[in-house]
Amino acid sequence: MRERLRRFFAASFPVDWDQLRALGAEPVPHHLKHWWWCLGGTPLYLFIVQVATGILLTLYYVPDPSGAYESVAHITRDVRFGWYIRSLHKWSATLMIAAVFLHMLRVFFTGAYRWPRQLNWCVGTALLATTLGFGFTGYSLVYEQLSFWGATVAANLVEAVPLVGHPAALLMRGGAEVSGNTLTRFFVFHIGLFPTVMLVLLFLHILLIRLHGVTEFEFPREQVAPAERTFPFWPHHATTELAIGVLLMYVLTILALTLPAGLGPKANPQVTPMHIHPEWYFYFSFRLLKLTSLRTSVYLTLALGLGLMGWPFLEDALHRWLRMPRDASVVVGVLGFGAFLVLTVWESLAG
Amino acid sequence: MSLDAKRIVIAVLSFFFLASLLLVAWRETLKQRAEEEPKPIVTATNAACVTCHRQRSAGLVMEWEASRHAQVGVGCVECHQAREDVPGAWRHEGVVVTTLVTPTNCGRCHEKEVREFSRSHHARAGEIIYSLDNVIALKIAGTPGNPADAVNGCWQCHGSLVRFQRDAGGQIVRSGPEGRPLLAPETWPNSGMGRLNPDGSKGSCHACHSRHEFKAKLSRSPENCGKCHMGPDHPQIEIYNESKHGIAFYANRDRMALNKEGDWVLGRDYAAAPTCATCHIAGYVAVTGEIKGNSHDVGERISWTLRPIVSTKINLVRFSDGTQDDFPDTRPLPAVGATVDTTDYVVENETLVTRTVPRTVASVVPWQTRREAMQGVCRTCHDQAFVDNFYAQYDSLVTLYNEKFAVPAKQMMDDLTAEGVLDPRSPFGEPLQWTFYELWHHQGRRARHGASMMGPDYTHWHGMYEVAKTFYTEFLPEVVETAARRGRGPEWQAKVAALLARPEHLWKAGLSPEEAGALGQSYRQRYGPKSEPAAAR
Amino acid sequence: MDGGRRSFLAAVAAGTGLFLSYGLFAAYAVSFLFPPPVRRRPRRLFLGRQTDFRPGEARALVDDRGRTLLVIADGGTLTAFDTRCPHLGCQVHWEPKEARFVCPCHLGMFDRNGVAFAGPPAAAHQALTRVPLDVDAVSGTVFLRSDA
Repeated sequence: MRERLRRFFAASFPVDWDQLRALGAEPVPHHLKHWWWCLGGTPLYLFIVQVATGILLTLYYVPDPSGAYESVAHITRDVRFGWYIRSLHKWSATLMIAAVFLHMLRVFFTGAYRWPRQLNWCVGTALLATTLGFGFTGYSLVYEQLSFWGATVAANLVEAVPLVGHPAALLMRGGAEVSGNTLTRFFVFHIGLFPTVMLVLLFLHILLIRLHGVTEFEFPREQVAPAERTFPFWPHHATTELAIGVLLMYVLTILALTLPAGLGPKANPQVTPMHIHPEWYFYFSFRLLKLTSLRTSVYLTLALGLGLMGWPFLEDALHRWLRMPRDASVVVGVLGFGAFLVLTVWESLAG
Repeated sequence: MSLDAKRIVIAVLSFFFLASLLLVAWRETLKQRAEEEPKPIVTATNAACVTCHRQRSAGLVMEWEASRHAQVGVGCVECHQAREDVPGAWRHEGVVVTTLVTPTNCGRCHEKEVREFSRSHHARAGEIIYSLDNVIALKIAGTPGNPADAVNGCWQCHGSLVRFQRDAGGQIVRSGPEGRPLLAPETWPNSGMGRLNPDGSKGSCHACHSRHEFKAKLSRSPENCGKCHMGPDHPQIEIYNESKHGIAFYANRDRMALNKEGDWVLGRDYAAAPTCATCHIAGYVAVTGEIKGNSHDVGERISWTLRPIVSTKINLVRFSDGTQDDFPDTRPLPAVGATVDTTDYVVENETLVTRTVPRTVASVVPWQTRREAMQGVCRTCHDQAFVDNFYAQYDSLVTLYNEKFAVPAKQMMDDLTAEGVLDPRSPFGEPLQWTFYELWHHQGRRARHGASMMGPDYTHWHGMYEVAKTFYTEFLPEVVETAARRGRGPEWQAKVAALLARPEHLWKAGLSPEEAGALGQSYRQRYGPKSEPAAAR
Repeated sequence: MDGGRRSFLAAVAAGTGLFLSYGLFAAYAVSFLFPPPVRRRPRRLFLGRQTDFRPGEARALVDDRGRTLLVIADGGTLTAFDTRCPHLGCQVHWEPKEARFVCPCHLGMFDRNGVAFAGPPAAAHQALTRVPLDVDAVSGTVFLRSDA
């Protein structure tokens, strides 16, 4: 009987276990033992958390202005563990974006964006944009005052983009003003479009990593014995990832317990609240808007965005045509991130 | 880090994660799922009304939503619907409605309350159109073309006779595509207690039970009654506020169960203090333990009438058709079954007319029974000896006012009128008539009401002190002076002198030497030498 | 303790920890899936006065719980029934001449007391759910009692 079952599964699910074991034992360069290098897997894990909690939330969420806020209140107040699932979702969003930022920093300062990995850097930047898009649309779905007015301001910023601004804003809003259409669109973006784009980009990102392979990274004072130059993905690296996963769940739960997701006043299209601000990851842009004119900050943000995505090519060009030493990128990175930090902290203190 | 170490780390982290999850479960159990808030029920009948009026009369709909009516699905149509033949009805958005909601409308459901109210003096408050007060407002203070004093003053408490705007042909003026009948502005808006309504009913439930929330807490609070039961001629709310009852109320408002649903019984639901409603309307726990119910017939527990010039006890004669009358104790009581001619005030062609209607006596409630009913309320908190002594105090004040001032003053006024000194066609032509009016209608009432509800300052300083001062320094001299102008001076001088010779008025002649000496002594003892008033030295 | 046993124990510890913690989390997620109970207070719904109902009238209304009810004025008394057929949930209607409720789906029939006498509901000895009415003796006002 057992023999027949074994043969049935072997035929219907013809996995070459030896091949699988060999794949699993793939050698991972020793430098991945350093925790900085876990910052790529972290957003991935958090994305899985978002998908899981997001699906749960969608079961109760009503994507219409007449019911959105109330459904979120219902989840927070009445549904069993609703407050917990919602708080996980909210904090996981913040941690995911923070992790993506940190991961990009790691990649940048280790020069892993350079040839032949420029394209992957672009894919990564696109992943950042998608993640920010998730954050923005997700927050708008709550339909609080800040959600509504945040969406209004963002759409007006998009309007100010040269050439494509107006049609882009129309597409974004589903009309000339933020309305029920906007909420529907944001909902579809959030649960349909962006997840699809995210999965495609993730696939590309990981594919490119696998195709390129991971170059060994030397730490100056680290002595690595030849036998330890690599370690097997399974079970060693996988176990590390598992540990990080549990740690993240623990941190998220603590955050959910101590700083649960709340609910501000419901969106009122007639009244703009006195203190309006976006989520923290857009503080830099918000502060920029307060420092310069609309035009300037939109152009500047666009330029910075394009600069970020195209840095590998820009660095190449600067190196080739202006003889900029490649290591000057470090300075650029420090200044760039420094500016981002300054603007963000400034806004958080002043706003 | 070795693989084993990592596994230990996972085990430890899992433990922390598990612990945090237990905290989550604990938090979840703590979460009080708020009880479903009572939501207003908008039935299919009222859906259209509410949808439109939520925008056009947002406050009104909000008030209704907060009401108990809304909790059970009683909405716009249930109260505002009318038969086509009712004056003032019109077809509004497919439903025949009336702007004025009268006791007839409320009585569809609140039958007992309307029945009790309709036989009470509250419902009859609008009948003062024939009273002297109306003369003051309409003729003396007003002009023939502008009854504004009555419109804004008297009628807003007593109730107006509601009329419609009429065109030259006498037809009701209608406005708008639906032909909404227009109400005459002098008569509406009006939420006076005894409003005379076009549908023949009397009264306005809204006078006490403010629409559209109809909140019990409001009706049971003394401020509610204070809109009308206040002022120089009957300062009931001021007296209540002065009294220990009032003090107790304001200090214990949150223990009064004012918003309790259903009946509100002294001695069962609250005991901290009585309000107006407590004594005059509401239920209480009798000494037998039985609960006495409420009655919207506000006169049922009243034994004195403090309204007229000379107060009398009042007996209640109830007729077979549900109406009733107060019979002063100067009037012989009819037997049960006897036929009595009663005066009805009815509205005919938008005018108040009196009709004499013979009625059959169904029962007689003597003033003693009415007093016992009131004492039943007192007994919930006070014992019988306390109550008996209070009534002795109260009775003695009314008797004092009656006998020392009211009766002789009224006699004089009647005699002056009989002799032609005063003209009955000119009730306020002479200063004497104003003086007399204020003597009994304002000061005398203040004294009596003050005693009835334990407001000592109103009893004395605003009451009997002013009665006495007016009587001696204004009324009596004016009697003589008015009579003198008609050539009857000496005669009336003698009559006044005869009155003042009576023992209760002898103080005017001055203190006796013994009394003056005693007075001076007491002043010197209390305030020191040379402090006594000159008269006592 | 040798390396093999230590590894085994470590693996078991890790596995158990993961199973318990993620398992509990999964339990919460499953609990989340089941809609929370709605706590209702007993409500009363005003229907009018007894005299407002014509003899033989069947008035339909929807109560605050979303049930479609029929109030029947039959032979001087008022009764209220949930129109949901106990067989498979279709809506019954009242036939005044025959004094019976009929369900169109499988021709179940109920008498004036809501007891099934024909069709599948009768075979299963079912009856319509009766909703209590409060009639005020003094004013004749009728309220539907919607208990929690």
